[in-house]
Amino acid sequence: MGTDRCAYLSRLRRVDPVPKVWFTLAALLVCLLADSIAVGLFTLAALSALNLALGGQRAGDLLRFLRVPLAFLVIGCLTIVLRPIGQGEALWAFRLLGRWCWGVTEENLRLGVLVCCKAMGAVSAMYFLSMNTPMTDLTAALERLKLPRLFVELVELIYRFIFLLTDTAASIHTAQQARLGYQGFRRSIRSMGELLSAVFVRSLHRGNRVFSALESRGYTGCLATLPGQYAPGRWLYGLAAAVAVCQLLILFAERRLLP
Amino acid sequence: MSNAIEVQELTYAYADGTPALNGVSFAAETGKVTGILGSNGAGKSTLFLNLNGVLTPTGGRVLLDGAPVSYRRQDLPKLRRKVGVVFQDPDDQLFSADVYRDVSFGAVNLGLPEEEVRRRVEQALERTGVSHLRDKPTHALSYGQKKRVAIAGVLVMEPDVMILDEPTAGLDPQGVSDIMKLLRQLRQTLGITIILATHDMDIVPLYCDRVYLLSGGRMVTGGTPEEVFSRPEVLRANQLRLPRIAHLMEILHREDGVEVQGSCATISAARKEILRLLKGE
Repeated sequence: MGTDRCAYLSRLRRVDPVPKVWFTLAALLVCLLADSIAVGLFTLAALSALNLALGGQRAGDLLRFLRVPLAFLVIGCLTIVLRPIGQGEALWAFRLLGRWCWGVTEENLRLGVLVCCKAMGAVSAMYFLSMNTPMTDLTAALERLKLPRLFVELVELIYRFIFLLTDTAASIHTAQQARLGYQGFRRSIRSMGELLSAVFVRSLHRGNRVFSALESRGYTGCLATLPGQYAPGRWLYGLAAAVAVCQLLILFAERRLLP
Repeated sequence: MSNAIEVQELTYAYADGTPALNGVSFAAETGKVTGILGSNGAGKSTLFLNLNGVLTPTGGRVLLDGAPVSYRRQDLPKLRRKVGVVFQDPDDQLFSADVYRDVSFGAVNLGLPEEEVRRRVEQALERTGVSHLRDKPTHALSYGQKKRVAIAGVLVMEPDVMILDEPTAGLDPQGVSDIMKLLRQLRQTLGITIILATHDMDIVPLYCDRVYLLSGGRMVTGGTPEEVFSRPEVLRANQLRLPRIAHLMEILHREDGVEVQGSCATISAARKEILRLLKGE
């Protein structure tokens, strides 16, 4: 839960999460719909800069997080750039097993770079949200944005109990290892199966106890709570508009300058 | 002296017919701490869930401030407001990853206006000494901190009676004494009636005004700690023991013929008794 830890330290921690969600969505949507390399790069730069400047995040952390999707993207984009092509228009080509002609065309190269830039722009927007909004604030925001209650409550409960579940699984795993449960392939498979069934049974029991505890505090079918008080975040709407204007200006400039 | 809760011949059987409580009777005096002693599986948790309406007794009755409790569906919210239960494992009780929101849950369920909910949450966080944890995620808290937050989550409903299931289990010695001091403080400032289940014998004479011994789904004995500890054979027959210091005094009396008077269940009582013996009064 790396980004969540950053979120609790963020300078925007106490800011109302709803404007943060809208701000992120606006930057994300414009970046995706603009379908342009320059806008993608601008979104990446601008949102990362805002993340550091407003959220007070460390550049090292952000780079570490950005590297994660980058690895997947580069591999994904390679398959767009390098593919079977016809004769003639290739920038670079080779024959696969003497029969198929594979290579890089200008069109495919442009498409690959576009996808990569667009995706990184979008990812940086998502990181702005996730590195500055703790998960619990985010679920509170989703509820205020009128997402279905059941969905929001499930997200809340899953987020809370995933930590307990991983703790339980980890201690069972340690206990199995202490008795040589993971020596050899067959035994490992067997032990893993037992671990999973033990975790499942314990979850079932815990579920019953949690339900009793909820009932004794007056649960009537709805996990209604009151979040802490937030600092107003209306200024983020202004910022969202400013970012969108810059994105669009860059889009037009790119269309003008490049044929 | 009135009783906040009086239980008369309470019986409860699980859905499959297994009896869990066989005619339990006891009373918790208003504004006092009542201890329920019992080994594992004695039925403590089942008893508590019956008192707060999560389970419905199959027989007997419960009096709350002298009036019989109704277990009808529409009366349950009132019962649960008056009688709060703090569960043994705080991870069973804290369902939200946000401390503030978890504490607010009970108050929101009472249908209170927002300002009142906020006031109560602040107060509960203050009283349990966890105000500084409000911005932390639940999973980042220590076990003792989680226990306090769980208590805050019940206090927010402003119950008349607070029931705590094994409040000291799993805590280090400092944590035990902190939690017990907190409970004593709550009783003094708010006049809350406290019922606690425990098998930590050493805290009983220090904090309980009255104790009952629950075993096999019935109350075996009850009285002041002094009375209960003066009959160690009953405790031992039910997988319990004397407080360590009382055990020492018992051995001195039985094996070495020292003329110890009373059960001397606390250090200070034992000290007084030893000094008396040394001075040869």
